[in-house]
Amino acid sequence: MNVLDLARAQFAVTGVLHFLFVVLTLGLAPLVAIIQTRHVITGKPVFERMARFWGQIYVINYALGVFTGLVMEFQFGLSWSGLSRYAGDVFGAPLAVETMGAFFLESTFLGLWIFGWGRLPRWLHLACIWLVTLTAYASAFWVLVANSFLQNPAGAEVRGDHLVLTDFGALLTNPTLVFALPHVLGAGLFTGSSVIIGASAYQLFRRTREREFFVRSLRVGVVGALVGTLVAVGFGFAQFGPVGQVQPGKFDGNVVVGTSLGFMILIGELAVFGVLFVLTPLLFRDWLARWRWIHPLLMLMTPMPFIAAILGWLVREIGRQPWIVYGRLTVKDAMSPGLTPGMITASFVAFTAVLGLLAVIDYVLIARTVRRGPAAATLGDPGRPDPAASAPALTL
Amino acid sequence: MDILWLGVFALLLIGYFALEGFDIGIGMLLPVLGRTREERDRLVAGMAPFVLAGEVWLVAVAGVLFGAFPHLEGETLFALYPLVVGLLVSWVIRDAGLWFRRRLDGRAWRAFWDGALCVGSYGLALTWGLALAALVQGGPVLTPLGVGYAAVVVGVFAIHGRRFAAWRAGGPGRTGWALLGSAALAAVPVAVPLVVAAPWLLDHVAPSSTLGVLTLVLLPCVPVMVAAQVWVWRAFGRRARTGVGARVPSFF
Ligand code: HEM
Repeated sequence: MNVLDLARAQFAVTGVLHFLFVVLTLGLAPLVAIIQTRHVITGKPVFERMARFWGQIYVINYALGVFTGLVMEFQFGLSWSGLSRYAGDVFGAPLAVETMGAFFLESTFLGLWIFGWGRLPRWLHLACIWLVTLTAYASAFWVLVANSFLQNPAGAEVRGDHLVLTDFGALLTNPTLVFALPHVLGAGLFTGSSVIIGASAYQLFRRTREREFFVRSLRVGVVGALVGTLVAVGFGFAQFGPVGQVQPGKFDGNVVVGTSLGFMILIGELAVFGVLFVLTPLLFRDWLARWRWIHPLLMLMTPMPFIAAILGWLVREIGRQPWIVYGRLTVKDAMSPGLTPGMITASFVAFTAVLGLLAVIDYVLIARTVRRGPAAATLGDPGRPDPAASAPALTL
Repeated sequence: MDILWLGVFALLLIGYFALEGFDIGIGMLLPVLGRTREERDRLVAGMAPFVLAGEVWLVAVAGVLFGAFPHLEGETLFALYPLVVGLLVSWVIRDAGLWFRRRLDGRAWRAFWDGALCVGSYGLALTWGLALAALVQGGPVLTPLGVGYAAVVVGVFAIHGRRFAAWRAGGPGRTGWALLGSAALAAVPVAVPLVVAAPWLLDHVAPSSTLGVLTLVLLPCVPVMVAAQVWVWRAFGRRARTGVGARVPSFF
């Protein structure tokens, strides 16, 4: 592999890792928020335990989203300085807004939510997880604004040797953005729901003692998956129009793109069909929870949305090669001049080794959290009164 | 507007050193200040609620660099290539230590991630020192001055971390003012290069069409960002050490 191949491979590997975790973050955040809202409204303890358990899975997963995201963000400067030279005046803006207006707030509110259990007043604590969800969605929006600009450089003009921003509105109404955003958010919701469905099925299959907990969770998962698959598939088909217009012939001729697209659509259609005509009707009288033979199938379904999501990105990104900014700047010309095989190999090995290892550990931790069930969840653990802390307020 | 965005950039970077410096300091001092597992848990629990709100300042720095100084973004990060890679790897390892240390209970598991936390923190302080020195000198990534500067950054972060730990533990004389003092100290190693580099930064600022958009979109976010940060310090500041919050086990 030459330097360019290595730089591309590095971006692809970190990008795939990043999205595997982010797509679950995007789906679990609103689901946890909804569950916690039900707790605050009804006061039922089961909802609090559900929010803590699924919330714990959410935060373990979030960690890797951040680690991989940091590496993504800095990689633009490391490997692709030609991009910021040519298009930075336009492309940098949405990324700057994403970091300050979305991620900054998301992470701050998440800290308040994680460490605020039992400390913040209930409503404020609930507000935190909704703010986390809102800012996570905002984050997805701005990142997709940036990505859509690369797909279709709207709102910019060539001046001399680089692009300048002429119409910010055009950036936000980019045809490659408007359907991609709901498609991705739907994909996220489907992914988060699948994890809840798969994990609940696992526990029910093992004849868990926490039956009510997982029967309810399964219901949340199926309803989430219903909404998620319908949104993802609806907007998935809607994308063909605008993509066909601004990137004609994108899906033709390239085997990887064609096959990936085919499999994504296959997964999407099977999922809509299965969720709409099988899982949802089986919520009636909790048949889905009672029919044990179906649970292994539900567990096997869990990785499907992850696979579809990765395939989707392969279609979108490989389909526009050789361009980094469609029709304007090639990937080759965007590479940092002076990047040597030694540099890129060393950083590739370092990033892949560290992030790959952490990703595996993270998934093992998530699996272990699922296996041990809600009783072992440590997030928001009310704790035992500490005998050492003899504050009078505590010794009732 | 150029000055405004230079100010934002400087403020975010200084904010990072002041607010994340003590987390890095505690990470480095973990084996010294925390001899037993309980002590280490208490130290980490003390800083835990502030870490997420602290490290985002650097993410914002990178964003503003890209948005308001796009031509520098590529140039500088590339010029500092090995240091940026080292900084990122250290950052990830430090954070992994925090997120993972309490997920399992085994002795080896805990020791491993506490080690990651410590090593990653050193890596962060050292790469920052080397990077700042290289930027000011406009030259190679490893120089005697750079090594000296890295030692300075390690030193001020360690002092800041110690002060923070003392402030959390409470007691007379361990006031917020003392912590503010060490925060100011921690910010000096970045404030000085910022002053030196200010004209150069202004030379590379994005055109006004870009800055106008950034100002328009981000200005409304600023009060929310400030409020969120203040909220963190009010919710988890000293007051929260006692009372109900005190017996809640920390997630990190
Ligand atoms: C019948 C179902 C589906 C159709 C027709 C469809 C269609 C599409 C199309 C045309 C693209 C490429 C857009 C471009 O090149 O700009 C795309 C991308 C993508 N798809 Fe799908 N998709 C479907 C199902 C799914 C499912 C189930 C998931 C994940 C759970 C998913 C995740 C993604 C992602 C993450 C992308 C990349 C971002 C984007 O362009 O929106 N898709 N999809």
